[in-house]
Amino acid sequence: MITIEKLNAFGADTAEGLGRCFGNEALYLKLVATIPSESNFKKLKNALGAGNLDDAFLAAHALKGVLGNLSLTPLYTKVVEITDLLRNKTNTNYSALLSDILNKQEELAALCND
Amino acid sequence: MKKLRQVATVKRHVLVVDDEVVNREILGNILSANYEVEYADNAKEALAALSKQDRRYALILLDLLMPVMDGFEFLKNRETSETLKRIPVIVMTSEKESEVRSLRLGAADFIAKPFDMPEVVLARCERIIELFEDQAIIRQTERDHISGLYNKDYFFEYIRQIELWSTDIPRDAIVFDIEQFHLVNEFCGREFGDRLLAEIGDAVEKELAPMNAIACRADADTFYIFATHQENYDNLQNLLQGIITDFFEVNHIRVRFGLWENVDRNVEIEAWFDRAKAACDKNRGDFTQSFARYNNDLHSRYMFEETLIRDLQSAIDNRNLVVYYQPKYNIEGDTPRLTSAEALIRWVHPTLGFINPGDFIPLFEGNGLIQKVDNFVWNEVAKQIRKWKDEFGITVPVSVNVSRIDILDPELEAKLMRLLNDNGLSPEEYMLEVTESAYCENMERLIEVIENLRKKGFRIEMDDFGAGYSSLNMITTLPIDILKIDMSFVRNMEKDERNLKLVELVAGIAKFLKIPAVAEGVETESQLNTLKNMGCQIIQGYYFSKPVPPKDFVPFIQKELERRRGA
Repeated sequence: MITIEKLNAFGADTAEGLGRCFGNEALYLKLVATIPSESNFKKLKNALGAGNLDDAFLAAHALKGVLGNLSLTPLYTKVVEITDLLRNKTNTNYSALLSDILNKQEELAALCND
Repeated sequence: MKKLRQVATVKRHVLVVDDEVVNREILGNILSANYEVEYADNAKEALAALSKQDRRYALILLDLLMPVMDGFEFLKNRETSETLKRIPVIVMTSEKESEVRSLRLGAADFIAKPFDMPEVVLARCERIIELFEDQAIIRQTERDHISGLYNKDYFFEYIRQIELWSTDIPRDAIVFDIEQFHLVNEFCGREFGDRLLAEIGDAVEKELAPMNAIACRADADTFYIFATHQENYDNLQNLLQGIITDFFEVNHIRVRFGLWENVDRNVEIEAWFDRAKAACDKNRGDFTQSFARYNNDLHSRYMFEETLIRDLQSAIDNRNLVVYYQPKYNIEGDTPRLTSAEALIRWVHPTLGFINPGDFIPLFEGNGLIQKVDNFVWNEVAKQIRKWKDEFGITVPVSVNVSRIDILDPELEAKLMRLLNDNGLSPEEYMLEVTESAYCENMERLIEVIENLRKKGFRIEMDDFGAGYSSLNMITTLPIDILKIDMSFVRNMEKDERNLKLVELVAGIAKFLKIPAVAEGVETESQLNTLKNMGCQIIQGYYFSKPVPPKDFVPFIQKELERRRGA
């Protein structure tokens, strides 16, 4: 089960995230727990795999909004980075950045399942 | 303190449109503190929810990038629907460019993602809802529902706002009205009149943008326009005259314009239009020009009238207003008998000197101040009748003027009765004069009021008979006790056959109604004899006496007492 302490250790700005939830810890943790299974990670990976930067952007953009609202900083900063690149359709190798993101997602999943 | 409408017993509904559950839940958690929150997954679902008749939304929070139908598509749809446009939209976005684009598409505000602290989000929602509700209230109240133009209060407030920022731009105040419009309502009915006002409103509205102007219907058929200065208003004039001519299918009903060019910013806004209206009002009957400009002559006149308006109360307080009395004689038989008197107001102004009643009575009739003058006269007269009664033991009934506006005063009867009680008089000792033109407007109300007064015992004289528009048929149904022939007919009857015939006619009508006819303005013996031969019983005029102050009236009473003793 995910806890505030675990999220703090993960690097999330839980004070901000909790504040956004009006201090409702149960709600905050419930929403954080949905992130590991968030379908946009898969969409991002598949779109990048297929070289479809438009769809990749949409997925990244959606993730950015959600992660930002939950203040999951380590994931959020990476997603912001990839969203900016995708918005400009920058011709670059996305795989390193993508794997960073997916690693962080897994890290969070592990914390949730722990 | 909270405004009344902020203290809601039922929470306002807010629609959150976002495809991400996390965002929806966070927002829902924030908003549910103050609102009933509903959700849509995308813009298409949102449109479906909004089309339901049974639900009213106070606000829409809209994500931009969504599957199926995105936020921009929603905003474009909203632009085309009057109903949807009344619901404010706050866009939620993390993209800078999207902020500008969505504001251009009609979004009221935006909330950046990640969301601000809940308090900020709530405050922004509250502010936008209040702003839109304020706007809705203004939209519902800013317009005159007949013409579709602004109403007068809104119009003046609007100008005040414009003037805060653009006092160096020359502007014009324009007032226009339709000559004899009251007759349109009179003869064709109010509905017909309203239709014309609506047509004029439509036409003016279309002209406003090219004229860089705003307009309102100020009163009845009087319209005000505030426009950026232009050399002439021929287009507007031709347009409106065309409408009137087409509407009545005649070409002698005229639109009259009054214009004050380059309004003086040192003068109050309301006065710009008072002055344009003064020009418009002075533009009566002159068919050679329908556009009258406010100029120096009008300015002096206007300032003079403003002085009179300003000084009326002090004139009453300082007794600069005085009541004069003109005797009325019954000329049946060999010796004329003093029957009564008419009270006439005189104003001796401390700096302007003697003011002609023709200068202030029509002015005060126009702005309602006449009621003050009337009340003053009624009081003075009641006291005077009492005084003479105590001194000489007889009643000299005095007639006082009852203006159109007094007739509409629900307190009229009570006021008069109180006055009589205070002075120990009965209604039979007091006579009321109502001008004929007052009978033409709001006749049912007038008849009702007059009948009640007559039931109390007052005698009613119809003043200036022949000068108004009474139809012969109407006269037979009117509750009156005495008919007063209009002074101008008597004065001209020896010079002009037509006037003579009119006097004869009125005397005949009085005979038919079995009521006395009073002739005013009688100056010579030959006039008196002519009137006597026609059967006119009562005479008033310089032949017997000019109007005099109470002390100079005393000899008439003494003479009457002598006559009675002799008889």
